[in-house]
Amino acid sequence: MNSIKNLDWKLLNTPLVVFLLLFLGFPVIVNLYYSLSEVSFQTLRAPELTGFGNYLTVLTDPAFWQASWFSLRFGVVTAVAECALGLCLAIFLAPLIEKHSALMAPLMLPLMVAPAMVGLMYRLVLHEFVGPVPYYLYEWFGNSPSFLNAESAFWTLSVVETLQWTPFAFLLFYMAYEAIPDEVRQAAQIDGAGPFQRLFYIDLPLMAPTLIIAAFIRFIDGFRVFDNVYTLTGSGPGGSTTSLPIYIYEAFFKQGAIGKAVAASVVLFLASFSVLFGLNWLSGRRKGATK
Amino acid sequence: MSNTAKFKLSTLAVLAAALMSSVTAAQAAVTVLGWPGGSEETALRAVVDDYNGQANVADADKVELLFFSRDGFYDKLQADMAAGSDAFDLNLLATYAIGRYAPYMEPVDLGPDAVTTFGDSVLKTMQFDGKQYGVPTDLSLHFMYYRKDLVAALMADDAAKAKYAEISEKYLGKKLEPKDPNDWTWDDWAATALYFSKDVNAESPVRYGTVLQMKNLLFNMMVFQSLPRSYGGDWMDASGAITVDSDAYRTGLEMYKMLYDAGASPRDSLSYEYAETNAAFGSGQTATALQWNAAAGELTDPEKSPAVADNVGIVAPPAGPDGRADHIHGLGLGLNKNAKNKEGAIKFLKWMATESAALDYAKNGGSPALAPAVVAKIAAERPDLVQLGQFADAYGYVMTGGTSAKALSVYELQAKEFTGYWSGQQTLDEALARTKAGMEELLK
Amino acid sequence: MINFLRWIVFGIAALALNFPVIVTLITSFKSAKELSTNPGFWINQPTLDNYVSVLQVTDRLNIFGYLGNSLVAALIGTTLALVLAVPAAFAIARGEIGKRLLLPTIVNLRAVPLIIFAIPLYMMFQWLGLLDTQIGLGLILTIVNLPLALVILVNAISELPIELDEAARIDGANTFQILSRVIAPVCRPAIVTSFIFGFITAWNEFLFGLMLTTSKAVPMTVGASFFFAASGGGVQWGLASAVMIVGALPPMLLGLIMYKQISGSMTAGAVKG
Repeated sequence: MNSIKNLDWKLLNTPLVVFLLLFLGFPVIVNLYYSLSEVSFQTLRAPELTGFGNYLTVLTDPAFWQASWFSLRFGVVTAVAECALGLCLAIFLAPLIEKHSALMAPLMLPLMVAPAMVGLMYRLVLHEFVGPVPYYLYEWFGNSPSFLNAESAFWTLSVVETLQWTPFAFLLFYMAYEAIPDEVRQAAQIDGAGPFQRLFYIDLPLMAPTLIIAAFIRFIDGFRVFDNVYTLTGSGPGGSTTSLPIYIYEAFFKQGAIGKAVAASVVLFLASFSVLFGLNWLSGRRKGATK
Repeated sequence: MSNTAKFKLSTLAVLAAALMSSVTAAQAAVTVLGWPGGSEETALRAVVDDYNGQANVADADKVELLFFSRDGFYDKLQADMAAGSDAFDLNLLATYAIGRYAPYMEPVDLGPDAVTTFGDSVLKTMQFDGKQYGVPTDLSLHFMYYRKDLVAALMADDAAKAKYAEISEKYLGKKLEPKDPNDWTWDDWAATALYFSKDVNAESPVRYGTVLQMKNLLFNMMVFQSLPRSYGGDWMDASGAITVDSDAYRTGLEMYKMLYDAGASPRDSLSYEYAETNAAFGSGQTATALQWNAAAGELTDPEKSPAVADNVGIVAPPAGPDGRADHIHGLGLGLNKNAKNKEGAIKFLKWMATESAALDYAKNGGSPALAPAVVAKIAAERPDLVQLGQFADAYGYVMTGGTSAKALSVYELQAKEFTGYWSGQQTLDEALARTKAGMEELLK
Repeated sequence: MINFLRWIVFGIAALALNFPVIVTLITSFKSAKELSTNPGFWINQPTLDNYVSVLQVTDRLNIFGYLGNSLVAALIGTTLALVLAVPAAFAIARGEIGKRLLLPTIVNLRAVPLIIFAIPLYMMFQWLGLLDTQIGLGLILTIVNLPLALVILVNAISELPIELDEAARIDGANTFQILSRVIAPVCRPAIVTSFIFGFITAWNEFLFGLMLTTSKAVPMTVGASFFFAASGGGVQWGLASAVMIVGALPPMLLGLIMYKQISGSMTAGAVKG
């Protein structure tokens, strides 16, 4: 009985696994080979196997670590900001949106615009002479700060990213909030729980899995940010807004250092894989303990 | 069972897709990949129509145009060429990228017309390793744009002159007098830029004296390098040693930083490139701008730049101790090694090198650099081309190593290190040491 | 009183989050002349010229063709991803098969910039004849969409009470019937959410669209940048804005149709323990 069910589960996974093997199997093998080779665009079909030199180059490149640090910081800052804002909005506006579901539409709108385009538009929006933001700052306060120099660019980019992706967190939280049956809240109310007690002892614990998932997705997306940063500041003065994907893209296409770019990706993959694997293992152990 | 069934299904799907797409691929024509979006595209479309209309062009040699995205154009082109794509017979070529694409291209013989149409110096922008890789179409260089009204007012006002002298002494260490922009040295330009900046001179009629393109972007290095060049700077000397840490580069880099730090250029200049610079100068709040010649059309058009159009002056970049220098590079069309119709493609290239085709291209909005005798025939319609030809002839230069396979990577490196210095993240010595080390690696 | 406050908060949030969209909309109705002199929100001489230029130049830029290509590729990329991810998510959540390796591997595909696969994929597609086809682009978009779909679905299925499966199994349903008759319907909000996010991601993808298409299957994001260059050239802001608005309309329409699905099915299918 159990072994039959086991076969069922395997069958359910099969299409996905086959698809990935078909479409990523060959690229993964080629890329692993490239990462161990001296290879350029001219020698794509005849890479020269050289060992772990590319990995050494990447790991000793200060620019790689600078990019990793930017990505990490950007991922954490934007994920926290988006989830905090999204959660407040979802819980506070839930009664309103329940009654008027059309209100959801304007809050989802920012998600629809291509991030690359959003980055491009901010080049206009923040421009000192033709952008509305500096224009109104000059009108009202007689001055306007620098938005995109080496120090301020990180925060400007964080705001740009947060404004666009808070709706993502909001949407997930709103769904999770609405999925909590009213009876549960009513029962708590009858037991004498005030609104804040209900929030902290009923709503938030029940929404916890979604909170974790949303924060996780937003962190990954912030970590691998590319489009909007690339169109707005590029790699930034002195490389100060180079995220890890921008570092890899530039190594690949601009420098033609294919081996280095792929090696950096492998390092990134292994690092994030071990983090995920570790988290999984931890949560598995915790589950085992509570059972 | 289901495992293998799924596998068969997906294989089938892939095969079906393969069949569907290969059926439509066969077309006999010459496919030309052009530079999308701008005046280059408009002009190319017009001359191709004329070419296809000729009676002696066989149907199999008619030219079809292909344009892909402007964003990431060169990345896409590189992937296509490296993978041996035959989707186009002729493709866009740029002086700074010839070395990068030459391995995937074939040299061409343009015939005797080419020299009389373009002249040797312009043909050189399409050469690599002594071989001609393409026919030149458009030439790019830089103009110094300035506001005639502002400069005239400055030169006519004694109190302003005194203030100008005071500012130049404070920032540049010498008392200077306002001069006609045609006689500017870089110091004169810097003094003017400082004088017209509110942060330096509260009475300035405009907010900034200049607008510097300081974004970490390779094209901005092309704009910048004419300054060190006119002080005698170069990438490397005759023996192949890297000379980027010369006094000339120091002077240029320091001048940009001094102007930026003093507030003579907008505070977000570190994110400015072509479009931002046009917008800043076009708004009427900036007195000068070193900018590509392509901007002339927009900045002098009263419809597009109503605030400044009537008062835009255009001169060559200022002079240094070694005279004036103006970075030039050409766009052109060259032959793909994997071209399906090489004969037809070469026929079109040779036609593009004739005088009548080049004039046709110019009439339709392109910016070819033509030999003096040829440009005279179109001077009335396109006076800007005369200026373009003169500047290219008198001041045009290409850095030693500027067409090598790694030229683009050198620009990328400089952009990163120089902007790092301008933004205060590293010292001048660090920036130059890193640039030198990187360039030695790239150009060895 | 508190409801009034809610309306105010909603208004501020809607305005702030949509700020770039609003500016884009305003910009798309400004002429180049007005843009260079009037940065404010008020439009002195509204014009439709930008939209006319975008929609009228079909002889050289087939904007409807781009929209069609994007639509087909995005639908393939979204639907196929769900077809693959729903059964796998069920197996991972309930059978615990693939939780160790498959799930983290796929989720990691979102963290790694997939563009490093561009060159081998290009060569593979060249060999298979998938270059410059809508199907080829759709297949890549499937890979792009899989991680998010899988995470959302695994999360949603794990949240469902296991009693649901057990009851169905006692009634004689096998694993596949449980998935198709019990789990999938109950998970509709999560499936719809994955579909919307997947479609938006696929619609807005740029780099693979650039690399793997040339003329026949060019998607909207790549086609749109015919009108301007984000780097190394001029940007015609008015035109760029009009292109953005036109390009954002299809996912907006989808969102409008789908949000009812989300809110509707949520109350209907609130099977929570």
